[in-house]
Amino acid sequence: MFELSTNVASPQQLRRGDFSAYDALYLGDFSCLNYPGNFSADPESLAEAVDRVRALGKKCYLRLYAVPSNHDLPALRRVIEAALPLPFDAFEVHNLGVLQMLREMGCTKPLHLGVFGNLYTDATARVVKDYGVTRVYPNPELSLKEAIYIRDHTPIQVLIPVHGKIPLVVSETCFILEHSGANPDEKCTFPCAKDHWLTRAAGDWSLKDTGRMTLSGSDLCMLEHIDALAAANLTAFYVQSHGESSEYIAAVGRIYREALTRAFSGQPLGALDDSLRELAGLAKMGLCNGYYFESAGRQYVGRA
Amino acid sequence: MVMMMAPGGTKEMCRLVLDEGADAVYVGVVGWSRRGSEHELTDDEIHETIDYANSRNREVRVVVNTLPSSTEIPALIKRIETYAAWGAKGFMISDVGCMRLVNKLLPHVAIHTSVGCGITNFEDVRFLGDIGATHVVLPYRMTVQEIADIKRKTGVGIEVFLFKTPSGGKICPGKCMMSSYFSYRRWLDDEGKDHFFGSASRGGDCLRVCQTDWAFGVDDADLGQDLQIKTNPALWLDDLPAYLAAGVDCLKVPGRDRSNELVRDIVRFYRRVLDHIAGSDSPDLSPFRPELENFHRRWKVERGSRDRRLIGEAESEAQRADVAGIASHHFAAVH
Repeated sequence: MFELSTNVASPQQLRRGDFSAYDALYLGDFSCLNYPGNFSADPESLAEAVDRVRALGKKCYLRLYAVPSNHDLPALRRVIEAALPLPFDAFEVHNLGVLQMLREMGCTKPLHLGVFGNLYTDATARVVKDYGVTRVYPNPELSLKEAIYIRDHTPIQVLIPVHGKIPLVVSETCFILEHSGANPDEKCTFPCAKDHWLTRAAGDWSLKDTGRMTLSGSDLCMLEHIDALAAANLTAFYVQSHGESSEYIAAVGRIYREALTRAFSGQPLGALDDSLRELAGLAKMGLCNGYYFESAGRQYVGRA
Repeated sequence: MVMMMAPGGTKEMCRLVLDEGADAVYVGVVGWSRRGSEHELTDDEIHETIDYANSRNREVRVVVNTLPSSTEIPALIKRIETYAAWGAKGFMISDVGCMRLVNKLLPHVAIHTSVGCGITNFEDVRFLGDIGATHVVLPYRMTVQEIADIKRKTGVGIEVFLFKTPSGGKICPGKCMMSSYFSYRRWLDDEGKDHFFGSASRGGDCLRVCQTDWAFGVDDADLGQDLQIKTNPALWLDDLPAYLAAGVDCLKVPGRDRSNELVRDIVRFYRRVLDHIAGSDSPDLSPFRPELENFHRRWKVERGSRDRRLIGEAESEAQRADVAGIASHHFAAVH
């Protein structure tokens, strides 16, 4: 049928969250190795976490750090070594060098190419498929038509984000720390626990910043188009929840699970007004459709 | 011997930099090179530039570093084959799938990775070398030691910008889609080529929205400062002997979107610097520093002018979208 997934950064978030609406969880924050308890940086926490997720009847994927410098590679290697014997269903990779490392470390698990893998073409999908990638997250600038083309012509599974802020920039330095007046030599006190916004009155521009990642201000929302996604035989859907509350993750998951279940059983989506109002209430800067309909990331296209 | 590769944002700029001692000139193809069309060349101009360079025993590298749509790849490959047949010696490419295709079709041409590849470590370089890259352009922030390590471990040709960013700020480009998020104009030309205004990756220009003043706030409180999201790189000088000793193969002068006169003067300057380094066992670069400072000033003026124009275009787009009612939708939110 279909798979609905989201992301979980740490053991604390995994314990506290309600992930009942999801079929699979991506463990780890791929943008910041210093984030407290980050699965992507803490080999000690992985065994318990994967057991917990599997016991919930869900698939469990491990996210690997997106922008490792030369200095980060040994630590990344330790995380991979710890994760290889564990029952993860796949690793998510954003960095081509890490693909190379995984192959040379004898990894036989399926690999997913993450959002910062810069995948734009079926030609590139064929390259990464040769390195063991079975699922790709097309670059957010791609339209639905382009993502489907890649799926059909590689062929390969594509992950389709259906809700949440769009990852736009990833950096190896922390923008919040740089501008919070903190001493860069002191231990991080995680000011990113609070919501940080970049705004500009002229043009009504807004972006959310989580320190090492900048996201769209508006939330991508594909609820009105779920039946079209199902009709296109897309099967892997994702709620981008980095930096969001437990309530957000639970509510968004519930709404999309219901819509996907209806769409995949051939039922009409029905009235979505209440759900859209609820989603809009969770989105501080409104809703958008990203680049799916061949336009700017901020545009919202309702149903015809 | 290190190759100095200079920008050719116009046909006139190409001629000037080759006359001033650049070993190669790199030129962008209209719609295919992460710049606005005013800084890209038509096919006729590219052909003439290749002829001019080859007649002087110099080289042309063609920049085709957009991240194309899958359906654009045949048109891209056809162009690359045409330029290679005209005598272009190499290509700058971002899409790794296209890199592998070009390497199979034209094994004799140089393939330079573009900054769009977003390299962060030596394993990236090994990967790209394995699929056919002959040169990798390394990010501004890598140290000389890291560059030497990469050269030793991979054997891939190393290209560095004569441009460095101070610490801080966001990675860009290769990991940034901020500009296209705020742009609304997109069209396909007669050949099916995507021209997404505001997306450098998809045939448009980066609108430099990172360079406007942003308010930065926590929750609903403003931190009280207007800031720019990305720090700007600057031309550099003092580390050049160390970079050459580390095995750098190619020095890339930036500036396709600067004036012909500024780029001509910069190329002339670095030609003198490189010749000075080649002619001395312990080169003293201090006499060159005042001239470099002058370039920094001239560069800043030209960059500011261009940034203001592009940000203004982004603002116009936003206003148009607001009038048309196509921007982010708020519904009647339940809070």
